Amino acid sequence: MSAPVATPSPSAQALREAFGADIERIAVSCGDTIVYVRRERIHDVLAWLKDSEGQEYDYLTDVTAVDYRDPERPLEVVWQLRSLRRKADLRLKVALDKSVPLEVPTCWDLWRGANWLEREVYDLFGVRFAGHPDLRRILMWETYQEGHPLRKEFPLRGHFSRAEQTRQALAVNPEAHYSLEELSIADAYRNLPQDMRERLRRGERGGPE
Amino acid sequence: MPTTTDATVVSSMSPSWVTTRLDFLANWARTSSLWPMPFGTACCAIEFMATAGSRFDLSRFGMERMSFSPRQADVLICAGRLPFKLAPVIRRIWDQMPQPKWAISMGACASSGGIFDNYSMVQGIDTIIPVDVYVPGCPPRPEGLMYGILLLMKKIRGESFTDDMLRVETLVGPDGLYLPPERIDELSEPFGNSVSQTRST
Amino acid sequence: MLRPYIPILLVTAFVVFNAVLLLGLSHWLSAYRTNPAKQQPYESGMPVLGDARQRFSVKFYLVAMLFIVFDIETVFMIPWAVAFRSIPALSGLLLLEMLVFMLILAVGYVYIWKRGALQWD
Repeated sequence: MSAPVATPSPSAQALREAFGADIERIAVSCGDTIVYVRRERIHDVLAWLKDSEGQEYDYLTDVTAVDYRDPERPLEVVWQLRSLRRKADLRLKVALDKSVPLEVPTCWDLWRGANWLEREVYDLFGVRFAGHPDLRRILMWETYQEGHPLRKEFPLRGHFSRAEQTRQALAVNPEAHYSLEELSIADAYRNLPQDMRERLRRGERGGPE
Repeated sequence: MPTTTDATVVSSMSPSWVTTRLDFLANWARTSSLWPMPFGTACCAIEFMATAGSRFDLSRFGMERMSFSPRQADVLICAGRLPFKLAPVIRRIWDQMPQPKWAISMGACASSGGIFDNYSMVQGIDTIIPVDVYVPGCPPRPEGLMYGILLLMKKIRGESFTDDMLRVETLVGPDGLYLPPERIDELSEPFGNSVSQTRST
Repeated sequence: MLRPYIPILLVTAFVVFNAVLLLGLSHWLSAYRTNPAKQQPYESGMPVLGDARQRFSVKFYLVAMLFIVFDIETVFMIPWAVAFRSIPALSGLLLLEMLVFMLILAVGYVYIWKRGALQWD
């Protein structure tokens, strides 16, 4: 058995040259190159990787996050990029200190697919994406009160009792988010039932606020 | 919490031999063509489809006509796990089914939450809708589901229209729940291996 | 004089009786167990959004109207076709008369064609 490949991808060296000290470190794990970037420069790094010659990471495979078991380790937000032409992968990480509010810039302007990927990270980890057009929960319902489920301090069965979870789930009002554009597409804004009109006017979103 | 009872001309008859014959007729008609509404969410739905297929064949029970609208369905078969996000949907669909209606909870997840004892899964649909027959399994074999269906048919054959409380619509109460909260907590308690799954910092 | 129509009358009476029996029995014998959710249209378990009655394009009405006009023309042509040879001396004139009728309608056809009523989009 030959030893696994431990040399980082050439993009890592190119990043070092282009961004210098903003690249905190480079690691290789199971053949994948991981580049740790400083939070302030991550958007520039992603834009450079997408647009510059020779990099062309035009496909954003995933945006996700990791909350490690040991509480002193920072929470890492992970971007998985792929260059379809060069058939190359790259992983970028930003380490966030858990004692301050978790926020990173959005990459929605670079890859439209990041819209839902970042919503998922916000929903399950509580990381806000600055500049995201529509940052709201995507897997849990919008008025979910218990917090961010994939954080390590979130208990497996949630904070509330099962009865309370059932009550909140049954009380959800899914139509509250419909915007006027969506309603006009459904040709429905003229013909809303009276009680729905009231609910939308009051801005009710269901469940205890 | 029972809310609506409309006594009719028929159900206000006192039980007699005639009512038992009428019961037999009505129940025979109902059991012979139980149109299911397959509320299939996950793997159990695949097994349900297999049961409806030619090898195991639901058609011999008159159940081959699946109704994906609750309006024309007799039995709601919840096949698969139910997230809390889907809870108001199944509640509304159950409410929209006209009487007589029954519910079969197919599989471990619909009966008790199954392996998913976590923040997002309903721990048994009986916390949300009244269930008549539970079919265990993960997923239940087609023979298992058919056994559950036959049990439901047996239950239906035992029904009588003179029973006023039988077709009562049990709605979600003013506190937002269908059962008392203690009962929901009791039904959702972890059991078996789940009792040890308490890890959180 | 009206004897041949008695069977039709009987069938009509039977149909009406049957309908009244079925609807009446099911109304009288059934229990009404209604709840708010049951009253609303089925929308896959979601609360209802908007009205089912949408506006739709007038071109469907136009097609129906044009169909009626030319269908009536055809309806008139059928008994004419059966009868126009019954008077051999006038059959040429009767043919000419029908051709004039068709010509008038053909003028109308050219009109709607040029006005674009036959264009779907």
